[in-house]
Amino acid sequence: MSFLRTLGWLTRRSAKNAELRDELRFHLEQDEDDLREHGAPGDEARRTARRGLGNLARVEEDTRAAWGWGGLEQFGRDVKYGLRQIRRHGALSAIAIATLALGIGGVAAMFSAVETVLLRPLPYADADRLVMIWLDMAKTDVTTKHNATPAEWLEWRRRNTVFSDLATSQPTDGVLSGDGGPEQVPARKVSWTFWSVLGTSPMIGRAFTEAEDLENVRVAVISHGLWQRRFGGSPDIVGRTIAINDEPYQVIGVMPPGFYFLPARDIDLWMPASFPPWMRTNFSWHNAQVVARLAPGVTLEQAQQSMSALSLELTAKDERGPHSVTIVPLRDEIAGRTRTALILLLCASAAVLLIACVNLANLLLSRGATRGQEVAVRTALGASRARLVAQLLTESLVLAACGTLAGLLLALPVMRFLERLIPEAMSPARLALNWRVLAFAACAGGAAVLAFGLAPALGASRRPPQLGLRDGRRAIGPRSHWLRYSLIVVETALAVVLLTCGGLLLQTFQHLRQTDIGFQSERLLTFETPLFRYKDFDRRVAFVEAEVEKVRTIPGVVGAAAINLIPFTNFASATFYQLEGQPQHSVPTQVALVRNVTRDYFTTVGARMVEGRFFETTDRRASMPVAIINEPMARRHFGDQSALGHRFKFGELGDEGYLYTIVGVVRQIPETGVLDDAKPVVYRVFEQCDQIGDTKAALVVRTAVEPASIVPAVRQAIWSLDSNQPLARIQTMEDIIERQLSTPSQSSALLGAFAVLALLLASLGIYGVLSHAVAQRTNEIGVRMALGATSGRILLFFGSRGLMLTLAGLSIGLGLAAIAARWMTTLLYGFGPDYAATAGVVSAVLVTVAALACLVPARRAAHINPVAALRSD
Amino acid sequence: MPPRSSPSSRVDLLQGTLDLLILRTLSSGPAHGLAIAKHIQRTSEDLLQVETGSLYPALHRLEARGWIAAAWELSDKGKRARFYRLTPLGRRRLSAERSKWEALARAVTLVLNPAD
Repeated sequence: MSFLRTLGWLTRRSAKNAELRDELRFHLEQDEDDLREHGAPGDEARRTARRGLGNLARVEEDTRAAWGWGGLEQFGRDVKYGLRQIRRHGALSAIAIATLALGIGGVAAMFSAVETVLLRPLPYADADRLVMIWLDMAKTDVTTKHNATPAEWLEWRRRNTVFSDLATSQPTDGVLSGDGGPEQVPARKVSWTFWSVLGTSPMIGRAFTEAEDLENVRVAVISHGLWQRRFGGSPDIVGRTIAINDEPYQVIGVMPPGFYFLPARDIDLWMPASFPPWMRTNFSWHNAQVVARLAPGVTLEQAQQSMSALSLELTAKDERGPHSVTIVPLRDEIAGRTRTALILLLCASAAVLLIACVNLANLLLSRGATRGQEVAVRTALGASRARLVAQLLTESLVLAACGTLAGLLLALPVMRFLERLIPEAMSPARLALNWRVLAFAACAGGAAVLAFGLAPALGASRRPPQLGLRDGRRAIGPRSHWLRYSLIVVETALAVVLLTCGGLLLQTFQHLRQTDIGFQSERLLTFETPLFRYKDFDRRVAFVEAEVEKVRTIPGVVGAAAINLIPFTNFASATFYQLEGQPQHSVPTQVALVRNVTRDYFTTVGARMVEGRFFETTDRRASMPVAIINEPMARRHFGDQSALGHRFKFGELGDEGYLYTIVGVVRQIPETGVLDDAKPVVYRVFEQCDQIGDTKAALVVRTAVEPASIVPAVRQAIWSLDSNQPLARIQTMEDIIERQLSTPSQSSALLGAFAVLALLLASLGIYGVLSHAVAQRTNEIGVRMALGATSGRILLFFGSRGLMLTLAGLSIGLGLAAIAARWMTTLLYGFGPDYAATAGVVSAVLVTVAALACLVPARRAAHINPVAALRSD
Repeated sequence: MPPRSSPSSRVDLLQGTLDLLILRTLSSGPAHGLAIAKHIQRTSEDLLQVETGSLYPALHRLEARGWIAAAWELSDKGKRARFYRLTPLGRRRLSAERSKWEALARAVTLVLNPAD
């Protein structure tokens, strides 16, 4: 209350001052009048009254002091004094502010990314209760998490005891035609429970019902973005019929802006999953991605245990082995690997800030020592210790405030860079300096003040004044030496951790960059065309062949081919297969990714053959079904033997379906992503597929010119075949790969930057402390040299001291780095970088840099002229 | 013209005593600064003379603590003056301070006049 009143008065400061002057004037006039009334002559009365009042300015000042602004005014004076100090020690202050700005800028930018990805609320009600459920099918070839089957989802819904409800969804595409040109948009088929599980609903209209889902009614919910973009935000959108994949769908709802869901892109359409009856009881169609909401009071662990048991029970008789489930919080699913990267980088930036603070503390400790005299004079004049600490801390605060502001300016460009780290599911999220980031920066600045300001302030105020008065410059005790030395060890250790982690990440990134992708990605344009418009198999094959032929005639095109899914598309749909002559199971246990291609695919992308042949013009629908497999699959089944001539089929051996003969083995092409482990892949030609299957074909076009330049010609070519055909996801192969590498490349670049910064700051710290030690001990060195110490011994003395500190920091740092490396394994993508070699390189670099930082002050000490040194004192 | 006492005849006020005197003065009604000073001087038979340099800081301090409140009103001579008056909080304070002072005075008197 009294603080508020004080604050209230502060805002009326000039009014209060005027009031006080009025009050005192009244006092004077009234006193004068009274005196005159009692018979004093005019002049006499005025003089007496004036004398009675005393020193007017003094009265005013004392009264103002009673207003309770004392502390604040004192603070204001300290701030002014701090600003004056900054100006007076220009170079020193500039270094301090720049150091702090680097530290705070980095940590603020990193926090903004963490805030966006890990802290900002997801667009679902009570999002922390949402989880994804994946099958954990360790007994099959695929050890990564698997989608559930619709049948499992239904059983889980019926029998689980831990969820309020479960929903399924699966990615698909939808081609819009009708108003405007044809356009392919990302879509998702979801169960009717999707909306209630996420706790969200359309902003206009409604979601679909259970009956509409079961009866396969053609209704759709569209995104806010699509509504605005394609339908101009028209208010009568609900109830309108639009053409999706050439079928009439009724729009029944529009989602609010900002709503998103997995997978890694914006979704514009939601349609009923409408599993056909046969799929509802089938346990081998793994096409239901399950999201569930934990029931009230149920923990993640309880859900995990309960669901694992249920799944093992449901799949007990499965020949592929009973399998468990893995439950992952939705937030982690969305953040993915970025989560670890972000936390690592936030820690790294915090470490840099800490190092910056350590350096500043050292800087201020040195300055505090030279300010001994000033502190001593103030103490002698009666300043209390608390007052001195307050003043020195205020100076640090001023410095920190400048550093924080500069840091925020620095953070802005870094944030633009960091936007590339946002997981695709959340993009296009923008990083912003919102209140959370500003509050965080303010806290970081405040923590920095305490970190770098407190020790020097306490140190400077502790010294007995007579010490400072006698010799202001050298008044520093041995305790403070130890403080500084341990600070040096701390910052060296931190720098070592950052350098080591940075080195590991950099190695991983180099490794990923140099990974053999099995084909040539340069000047390769890719795009997708949907195929659902052609209802029967022959017309689909004919269209794919026609578009390849048409595109091939475009000037600048060297070759063209089609594949059902472009490499690196993160789409890991796998199919069970059985090899002829292998032990028989009633259901197959091995899975491979299946890719359907045109015959020229391998030559167009420049794939490399291991053995056998590529597809040839003789491989037609009527001829013997043939397949080309990748090297990992060949090695798995045949080891060093040849895979050629062996036969296999999809599904069960007794089933209908082609028996494919292996005619070739190709070098592995990372179909699901650069970062994924080797998976078995089967390639076959479109013509020899045994079912309608694919709903889209992707074209890969090898060009002699810049790939983007032929896009208009390609579009014309496709439209000349079918004017309703949209071209989707037009991109170059290099862009696709670049995007895949963006998390490792961004994070290794950032971590590298932080590590270099840490190294520089740490060596600056070592240099600063040793220089200071030399400057302080000039006199002592002079005495030693006068007594016969050689300059070599002096050099050794200071040099070894610096190196000892470095080595202490190095050993602590390497220990911490080993722990950090274990924690960041997910960022190393299964690639085991050479920790020992990294540690070796880091040690060498650090010792070299530290040696240089030690050498300069040590040499200065060794070259001190003893006579001059002694005389100077 | 009333005599102005010479500095040597004045009694220095103990720390905090001025506050007590001001509160007591205001307990008989609102008054402006000069009136308060004169009242203290008169009732103490000129033994206590309140310095302006102590009076106004004290008044403002008491106001800041909420023991007295101030408002601009017209004085009996028709001039605008800042009048102070006791708040309920101040009244409670006065009785507390007063008993403290009386206890102290009694104690000091006892020490000065031992009953042996």
